[in-house]
Amino acid sequence: MRSLDQLFEHSARSLARRTSRRSVLASLGQLLTGAALLPLLPLDRGSRAHAAQARPGADSPENCGYWKHCAIDGFLCACCGGSSTSCPPGTAVSPITWIGTCHNPGDGRDYIISYNDCCGKTSCGNCECNRNEREKPMYRPSRNNDLNWCMANADSNYHCSLSVILGVAEK
Amino acid sequence: MRAAHLPYAALCLALVTRALAVPPPLPAEHMRVEPLPPRSPHWVYVYDEAFYNEIDARVHLFDGDSYRRLGQIGIGFLPSVAISPDGATTAVATTYFARGSRGARTDVVEFTDNATLANSGEIVLPSKRAETTPTLFGVAYSADGHFLYASYVTPAASFGVLDPAHKTVLGEIDTAGCVLVIPSGPNRVSSICESGRLLTVALDAQGHESSRAMSEAFFNADQDPVFVQGIPTTKGYAFLSFLGEVHEVDFSGAQPAFAPPWSLVSAAEKEHWRPGAEQVGAIHRALGRLYVPMHQGGEGTHKDGGTEIWVFDLASHRRLARWPMQAHKLSRVLAVQVSQDGAPLLFAATNHADLAVFDALTGELRHVEQHLGQTPWMLFNP
Repeated sequence: MRSLDQLFEHSARSLARRTSRRSVLASLGQLLTGAALLPLLPLDRGSRAHAAQARPGADSPENCGYWKHCAIDGFLCACCGGSSTSCPPGTAVSPITWIGTCHNPGDGRDYIISYNDCCGKTSCGNCECNRNEREKPMYRPSRNNDLNWCMANADSNYHCSLSVILGVAEK
Repeated sequence: MRAAHLPYAALCLALVTRALAVPPPLPAEHMRVEPLPPRSPHWVYVYDEAFYNEIDARVHLFDGDSYRRLGQIGIGFLPSVAISPDGATTAVATTYFARGSRGARTDVVEFTDNATLANSGEIVLPSKRAETTPTLFGVAYSADGHFLYASYVTPAASFGVLDPAHKTVLGEIDTAGCVLVIPSGPNRVSSICESGRLLTVALDAQGHESSRAMSEAFFNADQDPVFVQGIPTTKGYAFLSFLGEVHEVDFSGAQPAFAPPWSLVSAAEKEHWRPGAEQVGAIHRALGRLYVPMHQGGEGTHKDGGTEIWVFDLASHRRLARWPMQAHKLSRVLAVQVSQDGAPLLFAATNHADLAVFDALTGELRHVEQHLGQTPWMLFNP
């Protein structure tokens, strides 16, 4: 999904070049949030069952090795009262984010993953996960997980990170 | 004396002796604030990001000779730290929330008097500060200490120009998507661009932009990106790439100049051994020695930390030594720093939050300070 990949990278670059007002950011952020939350694919819902296991398996979102977490660096929201697609109670989803491309061994496809942060409380501190596949330094912000992506939230404290499927990555 | 009186006499003697042996009472104590001893080149500032409760990051001041903590600076949330060129002041660009972990955000540069570790003022910033993992280029002084620069990311990229003497914000300069503040000379700021180029903005006496120029590309972000943690050299900074290329950039002129890159790894080692850490290198500038945490790993391991520290001669590009951390039962090295004196110490902060102190010339382990903070991810020479 090079085209979608390029679309998001292009969006982030254009945003950085053209934008200086947070109101504009917030508007774009709302759009991005909507885009990120729409594709709740069956694969993701299925993983909730594994979250109840005492020791999370490889296909549990509470496991750092879970395929969707391939470019994450932070705390897994699934271990903090949320899931891989839902923020813990009392926090807020970050409207802006970075993306990764992860391979799902279950169906052999690569997916574009959006790593929105959950914001408004201090670090969850549970299930730290530091994977950085294809992660880039902050001069490529759309691929960088070192920035606090709660930066544009009203409460910009970082709590944990989601791993949300945006779509299949085309080869 | 009759024999029957002897036990009584002995008892009396014992009581008198005991009374005489009781020490005098302790004197009353007086409280005070401990003064810092004179600054030593073997001190190190240990930046603890406090990843598990990020609103409470701190800098620990540690003495590499006595192995004692000397004090602490509170540095808030995802801060950036800079030490003034004269060493007298620490500037911390940070963020506070009005209700501790929530509430209105205030971005601020706080100053600490390095002779006392007491706060010596602040500058309130617009709420745009780049909140990111530690880098030398989040906040930085000009070479003469006249200006202070603060990196902004909203994610629109720009930087603030500050006057540390008068504690004021002088202005903001857009950087066209390029990030961070690499200071050079009295009035130049360079930022790293996704294209692999450096944008250099020159300032006038009022801190306003007087000119800007874009360099040629010196790295390729797709093929082999550079870490943004630059390592100070005699004329600028060295930037390491994910695959182990060394890009030495001379910032002494009006525009940055790039030396031909060289590699930390041989052809056989390439893509097997690579640098990786939060702070990926340290240079003893007088000796021309480069220290890099290295590990074996593939793509995506650039933050994994070093299982060995490799030592290089900057002039010949020759590797001088490999120091395995496992030999000392140390976990992966996430940050390194070397003192700049003639009997240098190499400091290495590990993934288990230990701080190891080595002889930087021989690699001899001098000390391991266990659990120095929570997540020590950067080390500074104060």
